[in-house]
Amino acid sequence: MIFAGREFFLFLPIVLLVYHLLPRRAARYGWLTLASWVFYAWASPGYLWVILLLTGIDWWAGRRIAANDDTRLRKRWLLLSIVSNLGLLAVFKYAAFVTDNALSLAKVFGVTADRTWELLLPLGISFHTFQGISYTVDVYRRQIPAVRSLLDYALFVAFFPQMAAGPIVRAVEFLPQMTTPPKVTAKQIEDGLRLFVGGLFKKLFIADQLHALFVGPVFENPAAYDAAVLRWAAVAWAVQIYCDFSGYTDVAIGVAKWFGFELPANFHLPYLANSITDFWRRWHLSLSTWLRDYLYFPLGGSRCGPVRAYLNLLLVFVLCGLWHGAAWHWLVYGLYNGVLMVVHRQYDQLTASANWRRSWWWAVLAHAGTLYQLVVGLVLIRMTSWAGGGLMFGALVGLSHDPAGEAAFRGVPVLVFPLLLLGVAGHLWALVPKGEWLRERLAPVGGLGYAAAVGLLVCFGPGATQSFIYIAF
Amino acid sequence: MTPPRLLFRRLRFVWVFLLGLVGLDVALRLNHKTWERHSPDGYTERVEGCAAERRDVVFVGGSPVAEGINPALIGGVNWRGERLTNHYAVGLSGGTTSDVYFATLHACPKPPRVLVYGITASDLNDSRHEPHGANSLLTLADLADWQRTRPEAAEWVTRHFWQARLSEVWAAYRYRHGVKLWAASLCPQCCPVTAEEADRQRTIGEQVASQRGYAPTRWFDRSYEQMKAGGWEQPPFEYLARYRTGSHLKYLHRLIDWAEANNVTVVLIDMPTTADLERRHPAEFAEFRQRLAEVVAVRGVPVLRATRETVGLTDQHFADLIHPNPAGAAVLSGWLKAELERIGNETSRVVRGAAP
Repeated sequence: MIFAGREFFLFLPIVLLVYHLLPRRAARYGWLTLASWVFYAWASPGYLWVILLLTGIDWWAGRRIAANDDTRLRKRWLLLSIVSNLGLLAVFKYAAFVTDNALSLAKVFGVTADRTWELLLPLGISFHTFQGISYTVDVYRRQIPAVRSLLDYALFVAFFPQMAAGPIVRAVEFLPQMTTPPKVTAKQIEDGLRLFVGGLFKKLFIADQLHALFVGPVFENPAAYDAAVLRWAAVAWAVQIYCDFSGYTDVAIGVAKWFGFELPANFHLPYLANSITDFWRRWHLSLSTWLRDYLYFPLGGSRCGPVRAYLNLLLVFVLCGLWHGAAWHWLVYGLYNGVLMVVHRQYDQLTASANWRRSWWWAVLAHAGTLYQLVVGLVLIRMTSWAGGGLMFGALVGLSHDPAGEAAFRGVPVLVFPLLLLGVAGHLWALVPKGEWLRERLAPVGGLGYAAAVGLLVCFGPGATQSFIYIAF
Repeated sequence: MTPPRLLFRRLRFVWVFLLGLVGLDVALRLNHKTWERHSPDGYTERVEGCAAERRDVVFVGGSPVAEGINPALIGGVNWRGERLTNHYAVGLSGGTTSDVYFATLHACPKPPRVLVYGITASDLNDSRHEPHGANSLLTLADLADWQRTRPEAAEWVTRHFWQARLSEVWAAYRYRHGVKLWAASLCPQCCPVTAEEADRQRTIGEQVASQRGYAPTRWFDRSYEQMKAGGWEQPPFEYLARYRTGSHLKYLHRLIDWAEANNVTVVLIDMPTTADLERRHPAEFAEFRQRLAEVVAVRGVPVLRATRETVGLTDQHFADLIHPNPAGAAVLSGWLKAELERIGNETSRVVRGAAP
């Protein structure tokens, strides 16, 4: 089941209504957990065992880690949890990729064979496995107590608003909210509504329209378009993926509020970043902080000298790329970001005291340069072939044939430009001086704007056929 | 307990939002004709168009009728010494005999002189469940009638009927397609594909109104013969898959009952198809013709067998396996006019001979 699907608009009111009618804590959490499992199993009920098994293992491992003082035993239980989570993730996500590459390699030695099996990716496995690992590691580090109730732990793992595509919620953020069923405040209802409608608008009206109208056709056959169109398509793709993923997160956070839960923010105006480092502090925050706390720091972080720190950074970003998808272009995307991070860190250290870094013109240049790096990198994850990607890169770096006097906007559907503006409207709004003051003044009529947004997305959204991009990760 | 005034203030945003939704709904409903004009419902348009006045001859049937019978070419048919000029074609693309029955009831509040049903094998296939009829044609009474008459399809029709009614509750959802096409027609360069669809839909709406229900599909203006010569092979014809008859057939008898009760002459036309289709489905066509023969034997309704040879059709008059193209429609309509005059004269002689 996905948020924009028809069945979700039946599922959500029923789950909400029953949840708030149930009087007792156990009944409410039991109902919510059951609903979350239904949500999980909707598309492929055969995979329900994955989340049930991992829930059981992690909960039990957490209990054993907390109950033991023997470090060796504690480590064994922690290892069981990590191996179980990463093992299943590896099987479902990477087995086909590894097999295909092994078979390609075997062909070099004259052995010809084809992969005859196919594995579907269980919903949200990349997300809930990371939640499970963070829980047992935090218990191991004695940062949180182990959860006594299996039901509570099951709800933490399966909570349907964030299970399919995050944010990756830490136990330390979620479990304390579960002590008593949180009461929903008027502010949560209002904020939830804003986020729910705003998120669906971003997804259905902006991201899906950009995909159908422009990004999809151009990336499918870049050779058929001028360099100017390819550049606009790359920019449109950057806006599409932001609206798709942040739209999902907004809906997730909004729906969680209606149950009284607060989920962590996942985005903070990422396209206003003034460096690649800054970007990763604003984009998919729950993943980047997870990788920092559970991978980069345990690897030694920047405490073991600059060379090791740079290697750690590279490794983290390569794995980050592979976390998104088992394919070579994802690995290259991770490497690209890792190299940029290393270069930026070096540059940062060398120029930290330079006065010009505080000038306005440098700020503008830094924003523009960062955006350019991001757009170039994002082409890697959208291209449908390396040849097609090459054409896009050629256009972005000015190598492609660009006829003299070519109109900068020719070949781009007119509707794309307002969609691009709408997609980054939140970013632009943040740049407006007195933005907050205006927001307060507009609050009384804000509901009308959101009602209009519902009308727009119902009438002009291309429908719910387009799945959320990050669900595939 | 929070006092209501405080609750209202705290949830002001939500109330304003809900008010906005209601306002939007009212605004869309007030302009419903605009949205309906931009996204015409082929079934409703034809049924309402036909019902607007008393018709002399009404042609009903599925898509072969929608594509193959041009009422303008049959105008002025001589029927029992009288010239009938007011014709209308209620061709329901994807329609079955059950749909045709309900369409006839609503399209002919004032019964015509002659009802011509262009029937083909797929109309009687009980494995076919086509949602458009349940969505657009049925009233609550019709639904109850369907449930009684075809209990094996009761669950299916009930589900689709209520889905369609529910989708009408919210105007934004109901008129979403029309609003989108209206917007695309305002700014064709914004979204060329949708603008093209808007143009196509508007043309269909205008043709249905101006050509008495005849609005040939744009992409059917092609020749099956040429397409075959180009190597094109039509995919399997799903409308005859898992062929069985009996349930839709009940509504053919009901249609004849209705005609008898209203003094309407019913003429059945066994619609022409390509030789390829009959070669692919010999058993299905044999069963269909057996059923027609039984109806003729029991009810005494005339059946015109519009074979390709009789009518003068070849593969160049078809757009695919079953649908005549505009050239085929012209040939078929000309033949039909002559046949109706022949039947009119014959029945006229019978009537005259029987008169005291």
